[in-house]
Amino acid sequence: MSDEPFRRVLVPIANEADARVTGKAVADRFDDSTLIPIYVVEKAGGAPDAAGVEQREEFAETLFKIFEAVIDESTLIVEPTVGYGIDVAATILEVADDERADAIVFVPRSESRWRQLLTGDVARKLINRTDRPVLILPGDRDE
Amino acid sequence: MSDEELAKDLGLIPAMTIGIGTMIGAGIFVLPGEAAQGTGPIVVISFLVGGLIAMVNALSVSELGTAMPKAGGAYYYVNRALGPLFGSISGLGDWLGLAFASAFYTIGFGRYLGELVELPSILFLSNVQVGAIVAGAVFVGVNYIGAKETGGVQTIIVSILLAILGIFTIAGWFAFDWGTVSGSGGYTPFGTAELLPATGLVFVSFLGYAKIATVGEEMKNPGRNLPIAIVGSVAIVTVLYGILVTIMLGVVPWPDLDLEAPVAQATEVAFPGNYAGAAAVIMALGALLATASSANASILASARINFAMGRDKIVNDWLNEIHPRFATPYRSIIVTGGLILVFVILMGGDVKVLAEAASVLHLIVYALMNAALIVFRETEHPDYDPDFTVPLYPIVPILGFVLSLGLIYFMDTTSQILAVVFIVGAVLWYVLYARYRTPIQGVLGEYVRDRSEEMPDIAVSAAEAASPDATAPYNVMVPVSNPRTEDELVALGCTMANQKGGVVHAVHVVQVPDQTSLDYVADQIERIDDESDQLFENARAVAAEYDVDIETHTVVSHRSLEEVVDSAERLNADTVVMGWSPSRPWTSGRTGGALDELTTNLPCDFLVFKDRGFDPSRVLVPTAGGPDSDLSAEAAKALRDVHGADVSILHVVDEDTDRAKGTAFLGTWADDHGLGNATLLVETDGNVEGAIERAANDHTMVVLGATRKGLLSRLVGGSLVFDVVDEVDCSVLLAERPAKRSLRERLFGRPGVEASTETEEGEPKMESGT
Repeated sequence: MSDEPFRRVLVPIANEADARVTGKAVADRFDDSTLIPIYVVEKAGGAPDAAGVEQREEFAETLFKIFEAVIDESTLIVEPTVGYGIDVAATILEVADDERADAIVFVPRSESRWRQLLTGDVARKLINRTDRPVLILPGDRDE
Repeated sequence: MSDEELAKDLGLIPAMTIGIGTMIGAGIFVLPGEAAQGTGPIVVISFLVGGLIAMVNALSVSELGTAMPKAGGAYYYVNRALGPLFGSISGLGDWLGLAFASAFYTIGFGRYLGELVELPSILFLSNVQVGAIVAGAVFVGVNYIGAKETGGVQTIIVSILLAILGIFTIAGWFAFDWGTVSGSGGYTPFGTAELLPATGLVFVSFLGYAKIATVGEEMKNPGRNLPIAIVGSVAIVTVLYGILVTIMLGVVPWPDLDLEAPVAQATEVAFPGNYAGAAAVIMALGALLATASSANASILASARINFAMGRDKIVNDWLNEIHPRFATPYRSIIVTGGLILVFVILMGGDVKVLAEAASVLHLIVYALMNAALIVFRETEHPDYDPDFTVPLYPIVPILGFVLSLGLIYFMDTTSQILAVVFIVGAVLWYVLYARYRTPIQGVLGEYVRDRSEEMPDIAVSAAEAASPDATAPYNVMVPVSNPRTEDELVALGCTMANQKGGVVHAVHVVQVPDQTSLDYVADQIERIDDESDQLFENARAVAAEYDVDIETHTVVSHRSLEEVVDSAERLNADTVVMGWSPSRPWTSGRTGGALDELTTNLPCDFLVFKDRGFDPSRVLVPTAGGPDSDLSAEAAKALRDVHGADVSILHVVDEDTDRAKGTAFLGTWADDHGLGNATLLVETDGNVEGAIERAANDHTMVVLGATRKGLLSRLVGGSLVFDVVDEVDCSVLLAERPAKRSLRERLFGRPGVEASTETEEGEPKMESGT
């Protein structure tokens, strides 16, 4: 990939399609790396969450299974993790730090403008605030 | 901070505001007019009695909530304790009760909205119903997209509400007149008999506190904060209702109290002329905030209950899919929203019906919940360890049970009929749907069944009848592929199944090379079917001899061993019985880490048979204690009970001086594992393998517990460590009991209540067989 290979790669995933597309994209482009798929359970910071914590942890587990199933590559190690935070982008960056990730890799999802407005566009925030390489991979257009 | 702490970000004050915010909407803003006109001034006492009943139940919720801070609240406790029949009643009751309550809240919202703006009436719908439908749709929409409500907002809303009500209290105090309260006919114009029916009506005002328990999993320090928030919020609103309703009755004579928007009316009277209009508007806005907050919290709580029920398969988990973009349980929210709108449309004309329907269903749930608490305590369930305990046990839960059901007795006939219809419906739901799906068995059922000797027959048969079908079978899976060894394996599987009254699943795993596409194989399915049929016919014949039920499955896969593990998981197998030979092509497919992970995380017990003939007449069990040899003991016991095998147990110690200790250990071990009449053998040369080989000469089968390192992974890796398997002349049955850790547990490191019953046995001091 580069002179300094990305050994530990943090891969944020948000839903099933994302897990599939991103999983394929990283499997095609990395060898000998540890992939750390992360799902962030968005917290309300003192109000009841939109969905229960356990429910989203189960959801995360489903995503990780899909991710692992797509990555059928013996040289890659997959270490799923779950993050919790009010701000999704900030949580991803914190976990990247904790996990000593060399890079954060994602496949952009097409999001409508108003949706980005509502949710604060995680991708943009990630890029603006990052303290380590962020790699944006094209997904498979057919998905 | 650990992840677990990060997941719990609900502090005491926000938790309490959930309770207060949910409760404050209805009682004060909607019902005083309705309740007072049927009861007279003693309606204040009705509110206080409602608060008292709520408080008794709040104590019970607190205890259960600190023992099990899980999503689902009351449903979860009842299902665990009383089993899925009552679980279905409480889950559906809580859910529908919330939908009725939400419909009631949105009607309240519609009424106060009508005070502020002109609402049209459409078709047969009144203007209030139109306002309620719009409001309901907005609440559902907000929850659907999960628009972010932060703790700050919730606290601010409740603070504003308390401030508005505080100002009203002060202004009302000056306009207050005891003469107005007693008015015409004194305090009890309709007699005291109306007191409790009115309590039934206004009880809907106290439903919010239990919602705190449904979000218990998100609370910081739930052991302390949950009881304080629940009991505290009930105490606060009870006092508040007492004061506010008294003041209202002292400001406006009760026969004149407005049915639609009593608080706005009282405000207008209480404030001096030139402020009256503005004050009434502010009060109406406060009422909108309050009813919206109640409805919103109820919709959120419904989704948690749906999730908990879906996980236990009482309802279809389809309901609980998470939205791919919004990360909300959107289907559950839509279905609940649909119910709310239906209730508003059909019953919104009479707010009393909605209020009583919500009350009556919750009262049923609360009664069951108190029973659940008593069951947990009386059965001394090992997982039940509440941080908060109700005072004066068992008086408080018994009181909660009696008061909850007792209040139903005083309610409208319509509500009582609804309660009966609902219970019949919920029981039918369980009998026709949930019974076949849910794997949960309640603590009570287990307790009665475990003591079937001491318990009266009627209790045992009732427990059997009410227990779910899905838990009944003990599933033994036998992968069959080789007609030569098949019979022995099926016989072993039947032996295990026979002893535990279980079912054998014969699974034919058709392995095809990686290069062959599974689609291609599907075309060849006829040929495979013939092969399967042959295998299954033999299997059925064996099963018939053992009088064991058998089911057959054919699976086509690239990877045979992984398929075995997957199938075991799919079939919910308790034990897998499989054959082993060194030439088995187990290593095809992927190697290394993934396989290691697979085989060290077995989904169930594995018995691997090295076949040198199936002769269970003299069985040798070497043991050093530990979880794997528990499984060897079970297998040996099955062989003894089904085939009359003579069982010997072998233990090896290092020194001759340890012989007595070894014998003592074996005696205890044999008794503990139901092998009291076995022959005890103690060897003292410290050479385990040698001892087993020597002893095996006198036996026809050796049952060997694997070490904790992972039997299957060693077999698969080709580095068979159990030299002893090759050295002895008789058949060997290798037993491995998994360290039960699912992906979920690896990730989150906190097994559920059920899983935590697995005691972490200490590592055996000496491994058998190595």
